[in-house]
Amino acid sequence: MVARDYDGGNTTGFVSPAGDALEGPIDLSEMLDLARPHRYTARVLGDGLRERGIFHHDVLIVDASAAPTAGRVCIAFVQGEVLVAELALRAGGWWLKPSLERLEPISLSGDGVELWGLVCGLVRAEV
Amino acid sequence: MPRTYGLIDGNSFYCSCERAFSPRLRGRAVVVLSNNDGCAIARTAEAKAAGVKMGDPWHLAKDRPSIRAAQVEWLSSNYPLYGDMSRRMYQVLADRVPRVEPYSIDEMFLDLDVPGDLVLLARELREAVRRIAKIPTCVGIGPTKTIAKLANRLAKDDAGMEGVCDLRDDRDRQRFYEATSIGSVWGIGGKTTEKLEARGVDTIARFLAMPQRDARDLLTVVGARVQMELRGVSCLPLSLMAPTRKGIAVTRSFGKPVTAWPAMREAVAWYATRAGEKLRGEGLVAARMGVFLHTNPHGGEPWYSAQRGGRIEPTADTGALIGEALRMVQPLWREGFRYMKAGVMLDDLRDAATEPASLFPTRDPKKSVRLMAALDAVNGRYGRGVLRPLATGITRPWSTRQARLSPRYTTHAAEMMEARAL
Repeated sequence: MVARDYDGGNTTGFVSPAGDALEGPIDLSEMLDLARPHRYTARVLGDGLRERGIFHHDVLIVDASAAPTAGRVCIAFVQGEVLVAELALRAGGWWLKPSLERLEPISLSGDGVELWGLVCGLVRAEV
Repeated sequence: MPRTYGLIDGNSFYCSCERAFSPRLRGRAVVVLSNNDGCAIARTAEAKAAGVKMGDPWHLAKDRPSIRAAQVEWLSSNYPLYGDMSRRMYQVLADRVPRVEPYSIDEMFLDLDVPGDLVLLARELREAVRRIAKIPTCVGIGPTKTIAKLANRLAKDDAGMEGVCDLRDDRDRQRFYEATSIGSVWGIGGKTTEKLEARGVDTIARFLAMPQRDARDLLTVVGARVQMELRGVSCLPLSLMAPTRKGIAVTRSFGKPVTAWPAMREAVAWYATRAGEKLRGEGLVAARMGVFLHTNPHGGEPWYSAQRGGRIEPTADTGALIGEALRMVQPLWREGFRYMKAGVMLDDLRDAATEPASLFPTRDPKKSVRLMAALDAVNGRYGRGVLRPLATGITRPWSTRQARLSPRYTTHAAEMMEARAL
């Protein structure tokens, strides 16, 4: 038996009172439900969503089955590009709302655009 | 046994997996190539329209005018991605119908013994798989697996069906059977079709008109079973477990022809290494090994092919497997040939846990298990082949060519899809 195999229960001298109660480390994959088919991850490029607390290089947890809701952050395909932005409902259709006021919203109806999934969580390995 | 089966399959599955994460590929002609970027093995409708055929060699097809004009996107096969997307497709279905049989990476049989409108359910399944697993599909419905498979084919060929074909009704089937060639039936291969056509049996209807005894005499019990299934009598139940492995084979074409022994030695050592990893992954040891090598059977080069096999001390130890494989392949080597492919096969697989200890072991079995566990742990964490025996080579010019590989979007943290914050 080597030290690195010690799991909190398998002591050499006194029997560990924790032996029957070991639970292992917290599993982030389980917390974020990553084994389910609708869960994907995406890496953020750029600081456009800083006001929403989403920074460059963050890992987004994306739900491909959730129904769209105004104000939620989503992943969308727009004219060959993958974008992450806030969803807005206008005139009965879904739009992407750019962070910069001077930019026009992007409509998600029509050719070359697709609402891909809704962002439901975030992982930031370093703060 | 279910009274109704479904068969759902992904349209141009490999291409659809690529498109799922790459909006650039949407609406464009996409082709996925076989190992070593050799031939087309999956094509989108746009690529088919541009004249790309299944099996077309990339280096010849890419310069054809119609293909050039379509700006076809050629991609190496990205199996980590396709395997994960297949898993997602399965889970979406398993959440919605009682039982699912994953028949191949891109097609699954469904138990559709559920109340309600099955055509509506099939449409919902298509929509869920498209939205969640990102794969467009077609669904066939029938009272047997063979009919469901046929219905699926019909749904794929006829755009008017909008992806769902229901052949539960006997009259619908009769009309279709008269107009459909027997060769399009699941389980009737090219040779069998020829045999039947020689006797004037060219359509499904004519095949069903054959007396069962004739069908059995001509096509063995398989022919009789296909007849039963086509009549709507189910003979093939859903199988929910993959058959247990009888052997493990690691065989690869080289990225470029191997002409020197050191390169062949490295390649065979690498295949033995991979075979060992597969053994250990399933908790098995192998007691028999075979090796082979051969030159290119096409293209008019001098042909040479050789193989050898024999018993080995039951093991899953990479070092031992490399030793045995090299010992076997060395006498097969002949100078002066351009070798295209080699392989290592393991047979007589046994459960590592119940395999009795050898009376005269040539290795310390405990040490070997610990060393292999450490090796697998490092490679599991940092990537396949990061830690490997020097015998498998360093530059490895023979290794599989994958020059046009897309990211492993869903299985590798460093390669996930990137999204620009707007």
